[in-house]
Amino acid sequence: MDRSPLVFLITLACTVIGASVPASAQVDLTGSYQTRMYEDYIERGPGEFMGNYTGMPLTDDGRAKALLYTSNLPSTYERQCLPQSAGVFQYRPVGFRIWSEMAEDGSVLAWVIGGDNLRNDIRIWMDGRPHPSPNALHLAGGFATGKWEGDTLTARVTHLKTAWIRRGVGIPASDLTTITMHLTRREDLLTITTIQEDPYYLSEPHVVSRVWQWNPRGTEADRPICNTANEIPSLEDTGAVPHYLPGQNPEEDYMIRTFNVPKEAAMGYAETLYPEYRKKLKSIYKLPADCIARAPGYCCGWIETQGRPGGAPNLTCNDGGFGTLGPRGRRTATEK
Amino acid sequence: MRRTSLALIFLVLATSTLTAQGRGGQAGPQTARTAAPIDMTGYWVAIISEDWRWRMITPSRGDFPSIPINLAAQKLAEAWDAARDEAAGEQCKAYGAPGLMRGPTRLHITWLDDSTLKLETDYGMQTRLFEFGAASRGSAKPSWQGTSVAQWVMAGGGRGGRGAAGSARYGSMKSITTNLRPGYLRKNGVPYSEKTSFTEYWDLLTETNGDQYLVDTNVVNDPVYLQLPWMTAIHFKKEKDGSKWNPEPCDARF
Repeated sequence: MDRSPLVFLITLACTVIGASVPASAQVDLTGSYQTRMYEDYIERGPGEFMGNYTGMPLTDDGRAKALLYTSNLPSTYERQCLPQSAGVFQYRPVGFRIWSEMAEDGSVLAWVIGGDNLRNDIRIWMDGRPHPSPNALHLAGGFATGKWEGDTLTARVTHLKTAWIRRGVGIPASDLTTITMHLTRREDLLTITTIQEDPYYLSEPHVVSRVWQWNPRGTEADRPICNTANEIPSLEDTGAVPHYLPGQNPEEDYMIRTFNVPKEAAMGYAETLYPEYRKKLKSIYKLPADCIARAPGYCCGWIETQGRPGGAPNLTCNDGGFGTLGPRGRRTATEK
Repeated sequence: MRRTSLALIFLVLATSTLTAQGRGGQAGPQTARTAAPIDMTGYWVAIISEDWRWRMITPSRGDFPSIPINLAAQKLAEAWDAARDEAAGEQCKAYGAPGLMRGPTRLHITWLDDSTLKLETDYGMQTRLFEFGAASRGSAKPSWQGTSVAQWVMAGGGRGGRGAAGSARYGSMKSITTNLRPGYLRKNGVPYSEKTSFTEYWDLLTETNGDQYLVDTNVVNDPVYLQLPWMTAIHFKKEKDGSKWNPEPCDARF
């Protein structure tokens, strides 16, 4: 008897059935994820321009507080770890790790996000427990509960500490901030969408969506949590808080000077986030000078993979004042 | 006879499984429209909360961080000339699908027929068709929006905890767009080639207050001008109607 048609048909049927069954209970978020800085590269890589609040829906209070910020402020003990908070990991330049904690019955009790980005891990409780009293302890990782919506894990984070939203420009987040997180993994990509709300400093929800890539080596997540250290000896024990007084921040007009961005856009007014704002922009925006000829102002070719396998040689990078950067962002003696 | 019987068994198994994948096991054939696990139709607005300086306005020549271009692309981008594009009738080069989706646009998504989802933008007045199934109405000639083949990806509940899928339907849309006319990934002339493939995963997120977001996780693969795949996620918020819809033709300069 020729059995090959039978084997073929059974195999084919099994393949079709297997491919067609919904992927129930198959999403495992466990692993290390590497940042791909293809969005908001300046904030996440070399560091944001001072006075750049584009893309932010700030209240007047949020804007005023951000403008008090100086680069010396995070050098004070009390504020060194403010950038390492639950919402800020979307702006961090390195990866993180996700793991599960199991209940006694073998079910997942919590999903945990940890890594360089945090002072405390974000522990997403999956057992249906309620959020605690508003007066309960606030942590940098907050208190989070989650549920599955199909293959997306949706978490709600409350009880956060005061923090900064972006890196290095002082955009504030109050301890009444809440964050809704949606995590969707498909193959080796993890999409995280965060919707951040703050009754004090945000005039509407701040939405960020990012793509992370599973990294089996996990090297990027092997970073310690934030530790404080004295960075400016002259400040120690003085009680001084570095700041600019209202109206005296010299970088308030940086984006106007450098990129011809209107002040209302640079200062984070919500209307500037929507397409209709271009009607206003069209009559006032002038294209800045070519990047290669302009300084200061950071504009750059792609340097992430230079000098590594797969990297294209000879790309250059105008770093906006320090010269032209070569492979991997380092100047060499032969480069101008 | 035996082979015929086996073939019939296979067909019955395959058909019943595919049907059950749609609306909770309804009988009868499914179309892409009736099988949809999410409703993407309606008006959506891009919230430009990321990369504002590169998306809302045209950046200066040579300002192209964050796109993993190679040297050939850098040379082309540094030679970008909007006037030249206009003169050549190529003012829509930044409105091809891979560049358009990061633009400051509204989307209007509707069903063209039972197997074709239509996506229109007011920014550049472009139309892209997502075709489910094998049949394709895309022309052989490359175009700004290319040929998009789509499929529903059904989802179950993930691991752990309460609130798993239950009787609700979840899923996403995956689309792959090829047959693209060469264009720009960024308005200031960062190129992509005709060999580009554009893969997108569309997720619908619904908040407790009823707000809905459409998140387009996408990967641009271009063996000619990119060192690595360029991956981003773009979010759109649902609008109640088309009252803010504002069609504008392609503009090579702004």
